[in-house]
Amino acid sequence: MKENYDLAKWLAGEMTEIELNDFKKTPEFYIYYKIADYSSQLKTPPFEENQLYKNILENNKTNIIPLYRNWFFKIAAIVVLFLSITFVMRNFITETQSATSGKRTTFTLPDNSEVVLNAESQIDYKKWNWSENRKLTLKGEAFFKVAKGKRFEVTTLLGKVTVLGTQFDVKARKNRFEITCFTGKVKVNYKHKEIILTPGKSVTFENELQINSKVSLTKPDWLDNKIAFNRDSLMFIVDEIQRQYDVSIDIRTNHPDDLFTGKIPTDNLDIALEIIATAYHFKTMKVTPNKIILEEK
Amino acid sequence: MHKLKSISICEETVFSNFFKSNVKSLRNYLYFKYGNEEQANDMTQEAFIKLWEKCSEVPIEKAKSFLYTVANNATLNQIAHKKVVLSYAKNNINSDKTNFNPEFILEEEQFKVKLEKAISNLTEAQRTAFLLHRIEGKKYSEIAEIIGIGIKAVEKRIHGALVSLRIEIEQIK
Repeated sequence: MKENYDLAKWLAGEMTEIELNDFKKTPEFYIYYKIADYSSQLKTPPFEENQLYKNILENNKTNIIPLYRNWFFKIAAIVVLFLSITFVMRNFITETQSATSGKRTTFTLPDNSEVVLNAESQIDYKKWNWSENRKLTLKGEAFFKVAKGKRFEVTTLLGKVTVLGTQFDVKARKNRFEITCFTGKVKVNYKHKEIILTPGKSVTFENELQINSKVSLTKPDWLDNKIAFNRDSLMFIVDEIQRQYDVSIDIRTNHPDDLFTGKIPTDNLDIALEIIATAYHFKTMKVTPNKIILEEK
Repeated sequence: MHKLKSISICEETVFSNFFKSNVKSLRNYLYFKYGNEEQANDMTQEAFIKLWEKCSEVPIEKAKSFLYTVANNATLNQIAHKKVVLSYAKNNINSDKTNFNPEFILEEEQFKVKLEKAISNLTEAQRTAFLLHRIEGKKYSEIAEIIGIGIKAVEKRIHGALVSLRIEIEQIK
């Protein structure tokens, strides 16, 4: 009976005559009748319909302002977002400085430390919080004139160099990791080794081989447009010349490992080639201005 | 067939008429539901404001269901559920029941008080459906549309409300 919700049917006046007569005979009918009768006499507390209507229209008028305000906020938000992105880009994003073949790049870091990048070299660093976090990565060779401050770290694929205010040169090319200290103190980490360099000291690591040497200079030779070689192989020297002058050298020799000690200019290709040619008895042929062949006489 | 340009509720006369024919139902529905007069009035106002704002997007035939959808979706953060307070229309008593003896009249008055109490003790679902029918005179189909449920569910609530009211009133005796 209750599944049919017959009371609902009755209240809506949807009962058939038979159903209604049956219902009237039940003892509950009278009370249901009274509930239905009196509940229809109930009314809700009154409310100000006209005032409500007025509020609605007025609220809408004031809502027009929020629309403009929304526009203003939207634009403001876009501007703020743009500025923040710019700020992040400028500070958090990695800065890259590089020097291509035959070029050299000089720049200053946020703390006014000076960096000179040798040809075909690159440095990555972050401007954000630089004075507290002086870390950069180097590929190639660079000379650093570090301003006084917190520890300064140069990370290369080959090893790490850590310093306090000083001037030093880091060279990390192929397997060769070469550091020269000019002033101050430099700490070098190479694999498991840790070496402290004092002014005038230089260390080179090449395939597990460690060479300690002394220099009497105040800055690297390449800054004076010279490269110094100290018992370096012919192949190494040719590599360096290719880098410095942005040329390609085809070397035809049976002794590529012959050693060379001396200086070669980095601003005069002809003299550089002549020095090599004289030392090794080579014949120099310039196929094009950028392509050179060195051949044993 | 060429369709006439439909009437837009953005026109104030149209909106005003729509408001007049729907405001009482909406407001009382919310009052039955929450028992809070102030809240019911505010929510009614909010629902109409939304409709007025979106008048260009809502065609007139959808306006009513839009209104109740807004009202039903309104989240009540600080709602204070109160008892639904109702009163009896006075004229009815004078008209046809003055003939009865004083004892009977007293009994009837007591019944009315009990009924009121029993109504305020109904569940929200039962009370809302029941009062929409009794006070607002809504059909079950209309109630179903307002609450957003099926007609069968409305019948179930009405039936349940009547049973609860009877039991409650009998218990008070």
